[in-house]
Amino acid sequence: MPATGQRAGLTRRQALSGAALLGMGLVLQAAVRTTRAAHAEPLDERVKIAHLLRRAGFGASPRELAEYQALGLSGAVDRLVNYEQVPNVELEVRLNEQGLDLSDPLDLRRWWVLRMVHTARPLEEKMVLFWHGLLTSSLAKAMPPLMLAQNQFFRAHALDDFPSILKGISRDPAMMRWLDLETNRKGHANENFARELMELFTLGVGNYTEQDVREVARAFTGWALDRSNPEAPAWYFNQNQHDSGLKTILGQTGAFTGDDAIDIIVRQPAAARFISTKLFRFFAYPDPEPEVIDDLAATFTSSGFSIRAVVQRILSSDAFFSDRAYRAIIKSPTDLVVGTARTLELETIGTPLVQAIDAMGQTLLLPPNVAGWPGGPAWMGTGAWLARMNFANRVSSGQVGTPAPGSLLTQLGSGGDPVGTLVDGLLDGVLGQPQRDVLASYLAAAPDTEERQRGLVYLAMALPEYHLA
Amino acid sequence: MLTRRSFLKRSLATAPSALLVPALFERAVALAAQERSTPVGVSNTGRTLIVIQMAGGNDGLNTVVPYTDGRYHDLRPRIGLAPETVLPLNDRLGLHPSLGGLKALWDSGALAVVENVGYENPSLSHFEAMHIWETADPLAKASQGWLASLVDVGGHPFEALNFGTSLSPALCCPVVPPPTVTSPDAYRLLPDPQFPRGEPARTQALQQLYAAYEPPAPYAALLEAAATSAQESAQQLKTLTAGYAPTVQYPATPLARGLQVFAALIARDAGLRVGYTLLGGFDTHSNQAQQHARQLQTLGDAVSAFYQDLQAQGKAQDVLVMTWSEFGRRAAENASLGTDHGTAAPLFLLGGRVCGGLYGDPPDLGNLDNGNLRYSTDFRSVYATVLEGWLGADSSAILGSRYDTLPALTT
Repeated sequence: MPATGQRAGLTRRQALSGAALLGMGLVLQAAVRTTRAAHAEPLDERVKIAHLLRRAGFGASPRELAEYQALGLSGAVDRLVNYEQVPNVELEVRLNEQGLDLSDPLDLRRWWVLRMVHTARPLEEKMVLFWHGLLTSSLAKAMPPLMLAQNQFFRAHALDDFPSILKGISRDPAMMRWLDLETNRKGHANENFARELMELFTLGVGNYTEQDVREVARAFTGWALDRSNPEAPAWYFNQNQHDSGLKTILGQTGAFTGDDAIDIIVRQPAAARFISTKLFRFFAYPDPEPEVIDDLAATFTSSGFSIRAVVQRILSSDAFFSDRAYRAIIKSPTDLVVGTARTLELETIGTPLVQAIDAMGQTLLLPPNVAGWPGGPAWMGTGAWLARMNFANRVSSGQVGTPAPGSLLTQLGSGGDPVGTLVDGLLDGVLGQPQRDVLASYLAAAPDTEERQRGLVYLAMALPEYHLA
Repeated sequence: MLTRRSFLKRSLATAPSALLVPALFERAVALAAQERSTPVGVSNTGRTLIVIQMAGGNDGLNTVVPYTDGRYHDLRPRIGLAPETVLPLNDRLGLHPSLGGLKALWDSGALAVVENVGYENPSLSHFEAMHIWETADPLAKASQGWLASLVDVGGHPFEALNFGTSLSPALCCPVVPPPTVTSPDAYRLLPDPQFPRGEPARTQALQQLYAAYEPPAPYAALLEAAATSAQESAQQLKTLTAGYAPTVQYPATPLARGLQVFAALIARDAGLRVGYTLLGGFDTHSNQAQQHARQLQTLGDAVSAFYQDLQAQGKAQDVLVMTWSEFGRRAAENASLGTDHGTAAPLFLLGGRVCGGLYGDPPDLGNLDNGNLRYSTDFRSVYATVLEGWLGADSSAILGSRYDTLPALTT
């Protein structure tokens, strides 16, 4: 029988690296996605800003949308990407008022969801969500204080250069517990982190060998956790447990440490394509053209591996604002629920939002496995679809939160055009006439009744278009 | 048995705008059919296959333990199971102590253990390996789940059911998506609590909105199919589970709850052909003992309750349960009191028509491949056994080739 994995296994692994990189979800997407919708007209600027805010954040209320619109498209991108310039004091004040116990898993999720709903820096929270789904760890193995610290790490370093982020996450106690870096010792290296670092975080299957996994594991020996303060374990380097011998990693030989391994990995052309693809799929659309990825990979490499540079480039690109990108992504439960709370300015303690996200199949801080959430069509199982409809029902019947004064829902009863107002606020004003007619007839049957008004809100949120970002 | 056609007749009776309901359903099917698999006929239509995925890479050597083999103890001085603790199957192999539920099935002749299952040039990546098992293609060129074409478009909502949050790739993608259920009680469209009588009108408008969402709009087929399948299956699940009472106390674990839903559908003759669910937590890289014991206990207890319930309902002859995991684990323990990713592992087949016993050649602990087991039985032989011998389906149409089957089933 042939040796397992000593050779690179080019045929299958190269064949699979595309599929593995993109995951079964993408194979599903390729199978199910009908040809990209062509809109009758190109997107106007208001629609582009709404699209930008959904992708670079979690959507916006009409008021917030107007603020960003006043900046113009490139001003809006700048404000989103360079978020350090935006004060976020109100968010911190609001969070302090909640009286949350961050050592409790539910309260920790509430804390994060409320951040996403009320932050003045949408991209900051969206990047934390991105990193949480890529450089995964879980409450299944790491207690809330550790998961909170990791969440804060992502927030502080979200747009740094990739090697720094990777070196930092390798020292993160939650990650060290999750992928067994804390028990990685000289002579008996634990492969878990080394494997997932290359397979899931940086390169993808087909771009390293089993031997590389073993050598990278050796490089990371000596990574240790100091538990003298059990509340706050901390990384330190245990020289005695470090295998200081020569390792050969991806063709290079040296007495490498874990940091050296990261430096080698990040410089592989496959790493530039890998992270560029992950970011593009997260922000733009699921099936980028090769030349788009080539361009982003070049930006990555020439900018010192800057995540900010790649994200800026994506959010400023023609591809991002194209027809192909519009409504091209199925909203994750977090996108849908947080987006609804933001757009409708719902005042809530956060628990109904967390519960809804869970019910739709995404338990924050508890990903299903080390690859995070597959996303895309995987979000649309029948049970999840029912949960989405039932969320719309809870929102429309006032069970999720109270609309703030002056918010979209409070404008509906005042004479005007409720259908138009809802479609403008929830759907960028982009909705086919047949569907507008259905909404109008539904309301017209008894327009002054609370029943039909609430029903209209439900239907607007139930629309297929509302589930696409 | 409720079919799609009878569902449609009922919908026509209740929805004033009747014309749109069949349009919704039929178009969803027609659209989806352009992109999906062709069903493969099944001749043993009264039978059910239940697939339990043990996710993470189950440590086979500590599940079906070669407890009299000195090499096993040499390889695992700390995490190896002591001979006096295993549940003996014979004088060579024993089950992990937490698998009492399966041991009882072994004693009654309902459990088959297929040893050392794998394939050539195995992958040690979770995702690549899962993909290979799910599509039955070690070269990973296939994209269709091996179970997908067993689900027939002309059937009815519960021909397949995935208990879990998203559809397993092994079941992806038949023409209309099988229901994915996590909580039977929550599996319905809820009305506005203050205006419950307004629900029919609101739901009718909802269906009209989806009917108006047409290609080339993004994800049109997916969204319509999800909406249709969800509504159909939600209506029927409630009725079906209402008429069923379990004859045993199921454990309070998600796995057991899933098996209980399958039992309800089987007891009520809902025509369940494939039930699929997943138990995670098998990726035991460190401090394996407790975690592995817990997950195996969950598995054994849930399966045992399920089987007893089926027997009491008179259905044990019509059900076959199969377990699988994407790989086994490294023969030697690691320094973290756990095991790294490995290759071949045993799997279980159980049911009223199983010929209990051991199948396949055991792994040779003296002839490892860079620390890993060399497989003996190709997993596609197990699939072929299940497809041909259990369901009466043409296995080569699904697997691309003929594989030797195991004599593990009575006819």
